Amino acid sequence: MYYTRRNFLRATLGASTLLSFNPVAPNFLIRSLMAAAPRSDDRDTVLVVVQLSGGNDGLNTVVPYGDDEYAKNRPTLCLPPKDLHKIDSLTGFHPRMGAFMRLYEEGHLSIVQGVGYPNSDRSHEGAMRIWHTADPDKPSRQTGWLGRTVDSIWDPNNTNAHAVFVGPITQPFGLNAENVIIPSIRSLHDLITNEMPGHLKRQSQWKRAAELPRDDRDNPLLHFLQRCASNVYANDRRIEAVTKTATNTAEYPPFQLAESLRMVAQLIRADIGIRIFFTELGGGGIGGFDNHANQLDNHCALLHQLSESVAAFIQDLKHEKLLDQVLLMTFSEFGRTLKENGRRGTGHGAAAPIFLAGGKLKSGLIGSHPNLTDLDNGALKFHIDFRRIYATILDRWLGFKSQIILDRQFEPLDILNV
Amino acid sequence: MSQKLALVLALMLAAFVLETTMAGQTLPPVNRWIPQDAVIVLEVSKPTALLEVFTNDKATAAVTALPLYKEQASKPQFKEFLNIINFIEITLDTDWRTGLAKLTGDGITLAICPDNIMLAFIDAEDEYMLERLHEFFLNIARSEAEKQGQSDRVTSKEYDGVTVWTFDGEEAHAIIGKRLVFANRLEGLKAVLELRGGAKGTSLVSNPTYQAAKRTAEPDAVATVFTNLKPLMQLPQVAQLLEQQRENPLAALSFAGIAEAVRDSNWLALGLHIEDSTLVLRALVDGQMVAPTSPAAFALPNNPGEGVLPNLSVPRRIAALGFYRDLHQFYSLKDELFPERTSGLIFFENMMGIFFSGRDLTDEVLAETKPEIRFVVAEQKYDPTIGTPQIKLPAFGAILRLRHPVEFNEVVEEAWQKAVGLINFTRGQQALPGLIIDRPIHKKTKFTVAYFSTSGIHDKTSLDQRFNIRPALAMPGEYLILSSTDGLARNLIDALNQEMERSVEPLSGIHSSVEIDGGQLSSILEANRETLVRGDMIKKGSTQEEAETGISMLITLVNLVDNVKLSIGVHEGMTQANLEMKLSWE
Amino acid sequence: MVVKSEKMAGHNQSRRIHPAVAEKLTDPRWAWAAYQPDDQRPWNLALAGHLYRRAAFGASWYQLQQALSDGPQRTVDRLLRPRADTAAFNSVYDGYEASTAGSIDGLRAWWLRRIIQTPHPLLEKMTLFWHSHLAANSVKVKNPRLMLQHVQLLRNLALNSFRDMLQAISRDPAVLINLQVDTNRKALPNENLAKPLMEVFTLGSGHYTEKDIREAARAFTGWFVLKGQFRYIPREHDGNVKEILGQKGNFTGDDVIRIVLEQPATARMVVHKLYRWLICETEEPDMMLITPLVESFVKDYDILKLVETMLRSNLFFSPAAYRRRIKCPVEFALGIVKALEGMVSTTQLGQDLADLGQNLYHPPTVKGWTGGQHWINTTTLVGRHNLALALLRGSGPYADKLNPWAVAKKHGYSTFTAAMQFLLDLFLQGDLDPDVYDTVLKTVEAPANISSDDPEEILRSFAHMVVTLPEFHSA
Repeated sequence: MYYTRRNFLRATLGASTLLSFNPVAPNFLIRSLMAAAPRSDDRDTVLVVVQLSGGNDGLNTVVPYGDDEYAKNRPTLCLPPKDLHKIDSLTGFHPRMGAFMRLYEEGHLSIVQGVGYPNSDRSHEGAMRIWHTADPDKPSRQTGWLGRTVDSIWDPNNTNAHAVFVGPITQPFGLNAENVIIPSIRSLHDLITNEMPGHLKRQSQWKRAAELPRDDRDNPLLHFLQRCASNVYANDRRIEAVTKTATNTAEYPPFQLAESLRMVAQLIRADIGIRIFFTELGGGGIGGFDNHANQLDNHCALLHQLSESVAAFIQDLKHEKLLDQVLLMTFSEFGRTLKENGRRGTGHGAAAPIFLAGGKLKSGLIGSHPNLTDLDNGALKFHIDFRRIYATILDRWLGFKSQIILDRQFEPLDILNV
Repeated sequence: MSQKLALVLALMLAAFVLETTMAGQTLPPVNRWIPQDAVIVLEVSKPTALLEVFTNDKATAAVTALPLYKEQASKPQFKEFLNIINFIEITLDTDWRTGLAKLTGDGITLAICPDNIMLAFIDAEDEYMLERLHEFFLNIARSEAEKQGQSDRVTSKEYDGVTVWTFDGEEAHAIIGKRLVFANRLEGLKAVLELRGGAKGTSLVSNPTYQAAKRTAEPDAVATVFTNLKPLMQLPQVAQLLEQQRENPLAALSFAGIAEAVRDSNWLALGLHIEDSTLVLRALVDGQMVAPTSPAAFALPNNPGEGVLPNLSVPRRIAALGFYRDLHQFYSLKDELFPERTSGLIFFENMMGIFFSGRDLTDEVLAETKPEIRFVVAEQKYDPTIGTPQIKLPAFGAILRLRHPVEFNEVVEEAWQKAVGLINFTRGQQALPGLIIDRPIHKKTKFTVAYFSTSGIHDKTSLDQRFNIRPALAMPGEYLILSSTDGLARNLIDALNQEMERSVEPLSGIHSSVEIDGGQLSSILEANRETLVRGDMIKKGSTQEEAETGISMLITLVNLVDNVKLSIGVHEGMTQANLEMKLSWE
Repeated sequence: MVVKSEKMAGHNQSRRIHPAVAEKLTDPRWAWAAYQPDDQRPWNLALAGHLYRRAAFGASWYQLQQALSDGPQRTVDRLLRPRADTAAFNSVYDGYEASTAGSIDGLRAWWLRRIIQTPHPLLEKMTLFWHSHLAANSVKVKNPRLMLQHVQLLRNLALNSFRDMLQAISRDPAVLINLQVDTNRKALPNENLAKPLMEVFTLGSGHYTEKDIREAARAFTGWFVLKGQFRYIPREHDGNVKEILGQKGNFTGDDVIRIVLEQPATARMVVHKLYRWLICETEEPDMMLITPLVESFVKDYDILKLVETMLRSNLFFSPAAYRRRIKCPVEFALGIVKALEGMVSTTQLGQDLADLGQNLYHPPTVKGWTGGQHWINTTTLVGRHNLALALLRGSGPYADKLNPWAVAKKHGYSTFTAAMQFLLDLFLQGDLDPDVYDTVLKTVEAPANISSDDPEEILRSFAHMVVTLPEFHSA
């Protein structure tokens, strides 16, 4: 098991040094202190992953308008340069991604270009599995990279859930863990204890019963369960405090992804120990980004949702002064072919850009745009292995050891300002 | 509400039905006693006509002959119930049927008001009888309380010169002349008494919405319902339902025109009529016709004479649906209607792109269809030499009308065969058996069917679900039939041939119609009884016996309905729905 | 007003488990000898509840009372070999499962219902054990019928011979597809069966080498799954000599099974895992302690005998085992259902248990569910709290199938106070620290002046509190 120093401190010192050195301190007392004490000093960093299901067309997202090959290969899908939000003389954001342009200009968004891995898999299932396991060489790998991350930091002294999936679809395999249970939540109610209507008065008494010290001192399980129960009740208060206060007036657009991200922002504010959030755009199954036909309008709608939702999220966090603590990363299982397919759509590709958003980013454009004439089976070639990004996030952002999660040490990227 | 109270109320209702003498004083119409903010008001002006439908000899014989009734009748609770009925019959010196008819003879009115207040008014024909019956129930309530070891909760108080009673301290009721007024809370009854006292201008009668709705009511209605839609639409459940229609493309397509009309309306008026053994329910909302510029306009017949086509008749038909929907217009509005891109929609577009070889789905495919769309659902007849599935799904057919059938036929055929080929390829990858394509001819129409072979299967009596599906494509005349089985496709070809000979006219102004045949529906439920029972066991946690009773009840009830017809359209600028339900006592 | 006769539950002190006999627990002979109650270690309600939690999925009040009067050994007899016709019961349920027409949600619902209704709950407990030890996940298998066959196979052999189990499982299409070893050609030996077989199912890491796996994979060549059926294709079998775990020969797949079963490490692995499942998961058993069981198991691989030894033992009925496991979600939910003698929607329950981390037919990896303290974190504990509420509240998706007040009255506890004590006995055998016990009782006052409908609601609420106490989460 691997602890960061901070985890170690949290585990041993808990909410209050004084109390945790006293093993018979009533749990309800600890709970009150835990709920009351703001932990902003030692707040942990948070990762938010946004999966774009279906294979996002990177070429119509970060558009290489300055390269003639782009227009040549895309007679119907080519986006006119005048409509783009230009990043430099070669590339520009899709016309409906004005919000991403603003984030980019503010330094809250980076683009890592040409991300992929050797011998890219072109099937949705296979490619998505690789991004989830972070192990292209072992298709039968049983766990996802974030599942392994959570397993690696499991600590019976810290009963908080470290990762959650937020969204209405089946939990993606990236969160599949060998040991730990990672919950899927659809609303904040899934994280709060409910009571029978009309019995509010008795609740505090009952919680007290759960927290009274037990005789059976040798039984570690009872103590463990009591501690977790106290934690649950403390979290209840934290979440309720966040949902009930009217101070947060952040506005989110009416999209599913925006709703999920609003929930993520609320949970970050509640500060209940969740380090990793996973959410999705495209809607499960094969996914909405899989535009083999009539791509233009459909893709445009999705990119609009992505950029507006993420921008609202970043704005919300910034307003709450939490942005420095959060890093958001998008990914998709593959990019798409350079050439369109005759049905006003594109085929499954390989390398594509991924987006990072947050308050501690370095430099906006990372890596060069892949060459449009040097293709691998019709698709762009990668030059940054996606596991380097994973490793950078694990080591430098979350403070976990990427080597035991990814089985080897990948060369980190200089993308974070920490 | 406690069970005891529920029983008392049921018996009270039963009791109003029993009464004989002439009216005493004349009371003002009930609607003058109902507060003007009532949300829903049900007025049964001719209870006897309604009772006649359900309590005539034929109906009684039909109900008592049901196995389910016999089973229930053997239970002790039922016997106790009959005993009470008998007792009342003796006390009031009448039989229950006549009694029931006479007690409610002058009308029943129910009103639901804001703050969860419910009012019931029953106008009997004999004041004295009502008093006696009331006394009878007071005694029951008192002895029940005693049995439970509780103090007597039956109390009475004077308000405005009227004695107001309560059985349990919550509900309140009073007898005023030959009228019984019941409210679930005392405030409700007090409001009624105030109106009775002459506080003018606040009763339902002076509500302009009610007046407008009332004007549309037809004089021969047995019962009418007035619904004030505005407060109703504030309810979160209703709002959510209407919201769903906006988000789900299929729901938007199916309920186009209906939801919009309801959203726009102030009131909904229903009139119930009885014609022979058919109950006819006419519904009217005052919402204006959907504007041609509204996104829902694709569902509206624009010119006189346009509308859904009459439903098709096929053997073993369970249901038939007719819609007037311009798919081309609908789909070209999709970006406006549904800004989110669901996985399903993208998958659909990708597939259509492949099947129609890159043709534009909106302008080159959907534009080829006319707005008259029909669906037919029928029970299947299985050929035992081919085999019978364990779960017996009905066959579904969709009938579209094409604009350029000659030019478009091959395009559809190609798309269809590609789809079958894709299914076969995918199944082959998973080492699963595929579909075999055949092109038989039926009545000069050559059509395409794809089917799974059962030749290698020994037990042909409980096949997999997939053997319910034998997808077929047929294009007789200007129509395109997509059917889940070749059997239904053949029957639909016959039905369309007949229709083309007669050259039928559309039902002018109607944009949606549904017809359900109860007998056939209960037949397919019966065929799947075991599956339904087992599903009920794990879904509800019921015992096998409970599940069987529940399913039997369902089948019996469905069987009592001979057929139901619903049509929705625009009539004189207002949206009107017509529901006819024919009961069957055979 | 009529005063009903009041039946009171006994004071909780008499329900508490006897003190430890620590020095004896390390002596294998004493530890595994059959428990005979005496003055120091009396047979009581707490131990009856303990036995039913481990060897079944909780107990009804009848079962607890019957166990109290029968004593431990006769109760274990009945749990091991029930008099009821289990085979007939199971064949009815096999019929139900077959009729779900291949829906995995349907299978999940029927299994849960089977667990609730079976006359032989220990068989289901062990089926669940093997479902985790020899894990196959329906998402990978993608064929509900194969999953149905798989779990039926586990059930048929759950209390039988581990040798037969391993032989059957190594040819089970669901297992092979799950491990992605549905093709194994001579030219390209597939290690996906050999590796988990040695690492997870039998020996455990450290007891084999990479070479053993490579050689074993060669022995398994020619084993295929075609159209959902196991097939041996002789021309794809590598007939050359292999060397596996020190033995040399022209081995086949069946030889690999034979060879791994000859290793004491295999027996040790199963005994170890079963110890965790039936006895204790807080401490690893001392090697010396389990040696007699391992030595006996490696001879015949008789699962029933091994389970029997464990369940009858002094160790099993000692404080070293008592409440030394955390209930898995299935045990948690069904403990409530069994105690309240009801039947709930198992379709809904299957989904809710999946949300708590135990999705039947979908173990997360080939290593099954790790369980123990991993079942519990703040979100799963909230989930358990809310599931218990849904089961007990009397409305909603589970309707009013469970009614604590009705059950209390049925067993003669018809006053409010007696019913509360009854519920504490039913769910926890009254075994709580005295001040916890008192605090719990004090939280609710008997309704004096409210109508007769109210005790039902308050007792629903009270039962909910009892099953969310830390004690109820431990098994």
